[in-house]
Amino acid sequence: MSTIIPIGPFHPVLEEPEYITLNVEGETVIDADIDLGRVHRGMELLAQEKTYDQDCFLVERICGICSATHSWATALAIEDIVGVEIPDRARYLRTIVHELERLHSHMLWFGLGGHIIGYWTVYMWGWKYREPVLDCLEAITGNRNHYAWYCPGGVRRDVADEIWPPVLKAMDEFDEKLDMLIGAVYDDPVILARLKGVGILTPEDAVAYGTLGPTARGSAFDIDVRRDESYGAYDEVDWNVVCLDGCDCLAVAAVRLLEMKESVKIVKQCINKLPSGPIAAEVREVPRGEGIGHVEAPRGESFHYIRSNGTNMPERHKMRAPTFNNIPSFRPRVKGETISDAVLIFAIIDPCYSCTERLAVVDSRGERELSYQELLKLSHQKTEEIRKHL
Amino acid sequence: MRTYLREYEMSKRVVENLKATFGSRVDVYERTERRYYVTVSNEDWIPVTRHMYEEEHGRLATASGSDKPTGVELLYHFTMDKEGTVVNIRTLLAKPFPKIESLTPYYPAADFIEREIFDFLGVEFVGHPDPRKILSSHDRPADFHPMRRDEQ
Repeated sequence: MSTIIPIGPFHPVLEEPEYITLNVEGETVIDADIDLGRVHRGMELLAQEKTYDQDCFLVERICGICSATHSWATALAIEDIVGVEIPDRARYLRTIVHELERLHSHMLWFGLGGHIIGYWTVYMWGWKYREPVLDCLEAITGNRNHYAWYCPGGVRRDVADEIWPPVLKAMDEFDEKLDMLIGAVYDDPVILARLKGVGILTPEDAVAYGTLGPTARGSAFDIDVRRDESYGAYDEVDWNVVCLDGCDCLAVAAVRLLEMKESVKIVKQCINKLPSGPIAAEVREVPRGEGIGHVEAPRGESFHYIRSNGTNMPERHKMRAPTFNNIPSFRPRVKGETISDAVLIFAIIDPCYSCTERLAVVDSRGERELSYQELLKLSHQKTEEIRKHL
Repeated sequence: MRTYLREYEMSKRVVENLKATFGSRVDVYERTERRYYVTVSNEDWIPVTRHMYEEEHGRLATASGSDKPTGVELLYHFTMDKEGTVVNIRTLLAKPFPKIESLTPYYPAADFIEREIFDFLGVEFVGHPDPRKILSSHDRPADFHPMRRDEQ
C-alpha cells in the first residue's frame, strides 16, 4: 500500500511555488507528479502587445537570475529576422555580461544547495562569494540583476576603460575562492554523503527526457549551445565544455562548479581582447519573417521564437526557459530514492528561483559574536567529528 | 576553443536526408544556413518528427503553436546540436477542433511541451498518456484556451 505526500505549493525549501506529489511506500518514493503554473504571468501574450525594443526589457522579467539570457535570445531572434551584422565590440560586451551572470547564478545555486542539505556554511560562503560578481555587474551595467543591456543590434551602453581593472581583480580573487570550494566539495564528507550516488539519471534518460544544460552534462549528454552554435564571442576565446559521466547529483553540482572556472576564463579573455568600435548596429525595420534565438542560460538552453508580420510588434513570441524542459527528468531521478532526498533531487536541476534577496546579519540575542577565525575553527571541529562516524 | 562554424554542406545534411526519405511529402524552406522550416501534412507528422528524433538525433527544444485564420499552426523546433542548426517542422490543423497524433509515446521529452500546447491552444494530442492542462489556473473553464483568437 502506498501513501501520498504533498510538498508545497509553499514550502520552506522551495522559494518558488511548485506543488510536488510524492507517492511513497514506507520511506521509498515510487512515483512523483509535479504541478506547475502558480506563477504564470501570460508574458507571451503581453510580448505580442509591445514593440520589439520593449520586448527585450520585458523578457528580462521572466527571471531575476538569468535575465540577460532571455534578453539576448530575443535580440538574436530579431537579428535573425532582420539579418543584421553585429559589431565586434557588442559581441564581446554581450558575452562578458552573460558569463558574469552564469557565475552569480551558479554561485546562488551552490548556496541554495547547501541550504537544502542543511549545510549552512556552504550557503553562507556561496552567497558571500557571489556578492563581488554582482558588484562587477553593477559596475558594468548599472544594475545588479535586470541589466537592460541587450537591444536588437547590440548593447545599449558603452563601458569606460577604467571599469575593467577592478573587474579583472575581482575575477582573480573569485578564481581562488572557487578552487577552495571545488576542493571542499570533493573532500567534504557531509556533501559527499548527501550527493554521491543519489538521484541517478542515466545518459539514455537524459536524452529521452530532453534535459538541458548542467543537468544534461552531468549525465554525459554533451550539449552546449555556446559551442554548438557559437554565437557571441565564444568561438574566439579559449574554453572547454564541462561534461561528466557521474549521472548523480554530485556530478551535476561538480559540472556547475567546474563550469564557473571556464566562465572566469572567458570573462578575463574577453576583457583583454575587447575590440574598440561601435556598440550597436542600427535596426530600423523588422521585415515579415520568422526568427529563432537560443542561448545557453546557466540552467540550459533558453529558446525564443519570433514571427513578424512587418509591423513594429511581433505576431507571435514564444519563449521557453530551460527549467521547463528539465523538470520532467525529476521523475526518473526520484524513483527508488528516500523522501529526505526528494527535495534535493528536485533542486538539483536548479529550478529558477526569482528572488534576489540581500543578506543582513543582526545579533539580536545579545550573545557574544564569534570572529571569523573562531567560526572557522568550530566548523573544522564539527567536520572532524562527522568524519570519525563515517 | 576551436571554431565551430560548420561547413554549409554539413548543416544541410539533415534536410537533405529528410528530402531523400520523404520525397515530395516534405516542403523545405531554407531561411538561412542555420534555420530550416519544413512543412508536412497531418498524416506525415509522426513519421517526420520520429525520423528527426530517432534517425537524426534532433533534440525537441520546444514547440510553438499559433492560431491563424486558416487553422492552428503547430511548429516543433528540433535543435541539431552536432550541426549547429535548428530544423522546424510545421503543420496546419483544422479548426474548430484541432487534433493530431502525439509524439510523447515515442519521445518522452514531448510530454510537457504537448501539454502546454493543449492548455493554451486546445490541440488534442491523440495517444498522449497524460493529457492534463499544465500552466493555466485550475478554475479555467475546460473549453477556454487563452491563445485561441476566435474565442476572444
